[in-house]
Amino acid sequence: MKVAVIGCGGMGTIHADRYASMPGITLTGVCDIDVQAAEKLAEKTGATHFSSMEDLIREARPDVVSIAVPTYMHVPLIKQAAEEKVHIICEKPIALSPAEAAEAIDFCESRGVRLFVGQVVRFFPQYQQLAEQIQHAGSSSAGIYHASRAGSHPGLVRDWYHDRQKSGGVIVDLMIHDIDYVLGAFGEIEEVFAFHRVQGGIDYASATFRCTNGTIAQLEGFWGYPGPFTTTFEFAGKDGIIRYDSNDAQSVRVRRTADLEQDGGFVETPQSELVHDPYYRELFHFLECIRSGMEPAVTAADALNALKWACAAEESAQSGLPVRLEKEAAKS
Amino acid sequence: MKRLKLGMISFAHSHAFDYLDALLKMKDVEVAGIADEDPTRTRELAESHSVVYYGDYRELLATNIDAIVICSENARHAEITVASAKAGKHVLCEKPLGLSAEEMEGMIAACREAGVQLMTAFPCRFLTPVIRAKEALERGEIGDIIAFKGTNRGSFPDPAWFSDPALAGGGAVLDHTVHVMDLMNWFSGSKVSEVYAYAETLFDPEGTRTIDDAGMVHVTFQNGIFGVLDPSWSRNPSFPTWGDVTLDVIGTKGVISIDAFNQKNSVYARGAGKGSWSFWGDDMNVLMIRAFVNALLEGREVPITGEDGMKSALVALEAYRSAEEGKPVRVFV
Ligand SMILES: NC(=O)c1ccc[n+]([C@@H]2O[C@H](COP(=O)([O-])OP(=O)(O)OC[C@H]3O[C@@H](n4cnc5c(N)ncnc54)[C@H](O)[C@@H]3O)[C@@H](O)[C@H]2O)c1
Repeated sequence: MKVAVIGCGGMGTIHADRYASMPGITLTGVCDIDVQAAEKLAEKTGATHFSSMEDLIREARPDVVSIAVPTYMHVPLIKQAAEEKVHIICEKPIALSPAEAAEAIDFCESRGVRLFVGQVVRFFPQYQQLAEQIQHAGSSSAGIYHASRAGSHPGLVRDWYHDRQKSGGVIVDLMIHDIDYVLGAFGEIEEVFAFHRVQGGIDYASATFRCTNGTIAQLEGFWGYPGPFTTTFEFAGKDGIIRYDSNDAQSVRVRRTADLEQDGGFVETPQSELVHDPYYRELFHFLECIRSGMEPAVTAADALNALKWACAAEESAQSGLPVRLEKEAAKS
Repeated sequence: MKRLKLGMISFAHSHAFDYLDALLKMKDVEVAGIADEDPTRTRELAESHSVVYYGDYRELLATNIDAIVICSENARHAEITVASAKAGKHVLCEKPLGLSAEEMEGMIAACREAGVQLMTAFPCRFLTPVIRAKEALERGEIGDIIAFKGTNRGSFPDPAWFSDPALAGGGAVLDHTVHVMDLMNWFSGSKVSEVYAYAETLFDPEGTRTIDDAGMVHVTFQNGIFGVLDPSWSRNPSFPTWGDVTLDVIGTKGVISIDAFNQKNSVYARGAGKGSWSFWGDDMNVLMIRAFVNALLEGREVPITGEDGMKSALVALEAYRSAEEGKPVRVFV
């Protein structure tokens, strides 16, 4: 299968790197409007570089493209790729508004191409294990769930993250990982009550989701956290408690006396000491789905649902009132 | 040396045993009497320390003691506090201070009128990590506070009255909101204006509980700070310790994270069948009792007042109203 990557920033680099090491996959091209970024990634991966997706699709003829451009450009590029009958793996969040996301999904369907969204938390083994244990508990799995996701402000290295019109802010961009996870692990959400504050170099949100199964999920998303990139969760149910803290779960620690080299100015992503990290697992799974025609572990409709609840959280933070979505609205 | 003569009323709340331990070690304190309607839990204990035992607390109040420590069921705090005040005794009352605004106002007024002091037992204020955090806040190390995230998770309490709404007045949301709420009040220097909460029963494997054991309490302060707090009795017997007190303070220039009982050794005893955490930090109960005794001996105001107790108990009580109504409710209007 021939795959190409659109956007050679932080996530595009990860996608290209993982594809390059995947058996049976050819990374045919990488593309960025920033020629230097495209050249650099091409050099690293051995792929050909392009400066527009149009040229890339015409010349490299990929079966699948990964879209890893800033969020506000996801939908136009999804549509453009779909028009060319290329399958799409798009980074999360799928779009900045549910309406736009639904439009992108319909568009792909009408053009007969498949659309996947990189809600990657579903591919992290610590979260997968928890989801399995919750599923195992079955109907008695209501409980209290806490999760947080905190790191430095991505706007420090990539300016567009500062603009809520472009990135969506900390709920739509970051907390959406945990919202999607809650939807996957606990099922439907009924209500959200949220707080969101942007002040100085900080973008902080705290939102509590009430699930139909009775679970209360309290999520924190934090850009501007002064510590290392940190994710934590705790689920407490009547049959037990399961906890994870990324700072406690490190199996290799490298401590440098001095900063030898910067990380290339990309946004922080979680590091995993695994043969195949969660990004690899996610992309591999999506390509498998394209090959076999099977349904993915997380669908574009799931990504839309997560976005709806992210936007509902934003609305709650604005109004100071809990927000409930009609079942129909949340599903369609 | 000036000595404080002190009595204890009711051992319904097991904190009484810790407080007694602390008091017995203090050279400037004489524990002059213990009144408890249940002799099986206290008569022998009192006698073993040569402390007079009373079946009726009014007999203890008739003696010449200076102060009273009350660890009764929540529903009796008001009655005993008012009686103690009328007898001219200073009061240290277990939390939650009372079960309604009227009750707590009555307790505060009775003590004021009698010229005695009323302290609410909030030992968490005396946790050394909490004090260090407060000092860091005051030095401005994290700028202005934006939000709090706290937990006071615990285990379902053993005494039967905790499950009886008539005696307890509420479950986890009442019992475990007040401590961290008090810390939020103290740190924020503001008052809660709005509460939105859930109160549920989620940790009941036998399906026999008659009171809430789970919740999530959201508060907005008058100065715009947001706080959220998990007061659930969600720890089960295989968890390595009874529970926790954690509080993250998110500021404009940094974050303070308190995990108050994280000063611990991990212990894996062959016989125990599970690992456990053994705490080695300062004893908050001793420090709290010391502060109460010192204030009375030195004629200063007690460090945590009845008003402080009321401020956080009201939030817990309003949390139930909010949970019932399914919407945010205004407090202190
Ligand atoms: N799944 C995750 O863990 C994760 C982590 C970080 C970011 N993301 C998401 O990935 C996406 C990209 O984020 P990033 O941090 O990699 O951004 P980035 O700024 O590092 O990279 C984006 C790149 O896209 C290029 N670009 C812009 N318009 C283009 C166009 N029309 N055609 C080709 N290239 C174009 C830019 O020049 C830039 O190099 C965002 O949607 C973000 O939310 C996901």
